[in-house]
Amino acid sequence: MLDVLSIPAPWYIIGPLMGLVIAGMYAVSNKHLGVSGSYVQFVDRARGRPMEVWRLWFLAGLMVGAVLVAVLGEAPQFGLRYGRLGEVLPIGALVAVLFLGGMLIGFGARWMGACTSGHGLSGCSTRSRGSFVATVTFFFTAVMVTLLLHWLTGGAL
Amino acid sequence: MNRLNLTSLLFGLAFGFLFAAAGFNQYDIVHATLLLEYLDPFFVMGSAVGTAMLTLWLLERRGWRTPLGGRLELRRWPAERKHIYGGIMFGTGWAVTGACPGTVAAMLAAGSALNLVTLVGILVGIALRDIVAQRAQRAAREPGVSSVVASEVG
Repeated sequence: MLDVLSIPAPWYIIGPLMGLVIAGMYAVSNKHLGVSGSYVQFVDRARGRPMEVWRLWFLAGLMVGAVLVAVLGEAPQFGLRYGRLGEVLPIGALVAVLFLGGMLIGFGARWMGACTSGHGLSGCSTRSRGSFVATVTFFFTAVMVTLLLHWLTGGAL
Repeated sequence: MNRLNLTSLLFGLAFGFLFAAAGFNQYDIVHATLLLEYLDPFFVMGSAVGTAMLTLWLLERRGWRTPLGGRLELRRWPAERKHIYGGIMFGTGWAVTGACPGTVAAMLAAGSALNLVTLVGILVGIALRDIVAQRAQRAAREPGVSSVVASEVG
């Protein structure tokens, strides 16, 4: 919005700082940073299990941080826009794809125990073998499926 | 608000800011990355893991005591089949939507309303996996030895 922050910011600034956030959370509170764990709290709550409240505060902070970037920089997907996928698909199909894709993300993340952050960032940082396997698997799958979609849609996606 | 919640909020804020500043909450950037056309996010993740791995290794070696959670204990999981099955499902959903749990929250916060749909899908997916896992557990307990296992689980 204010355009004082150019996005994407350089990787050699973002990456090391992100690493310090992951290590910092361990160093201060002995907690393993991961986002899907926050979503699990809602399901736990609905199924009558106790919640880890700090995970909800983490999620709230994450969202405030993203709002700050949208204000200082840009929010190119505001409203019903959804990048190239939104241009290729009509809105009805887009909603169906996002819902089904979301289900795959949720089911898969719960199955392997964490997501891009809990396995890909924090888990690899603690040298967790399960996290290495999960990270290689989901990155490889995501790249293959993306290339396949690109080919199937004749380069539209 | 207790100190754990406050530090979680602050670390979440820093993480969300960096995450969005890297453009991870934009479909076009994630898509171009997974198409291997734009590689910076791989460098972001690589340098983040490198920095955190080195810092955590040093802290663990020195027997670091955390101010809020006792002696530092790094969580590790052995490699199992579930990491492959879950990873394949997760990677497919990620490729199709350009979203993962972190980006969905950050996209929503940046005003992308359609992420509400993805969010609901994720919650349904988590609940489904939960139910499937519970059923499997129950089935494994059933044949004859149910009382023994039940007393062990307590």
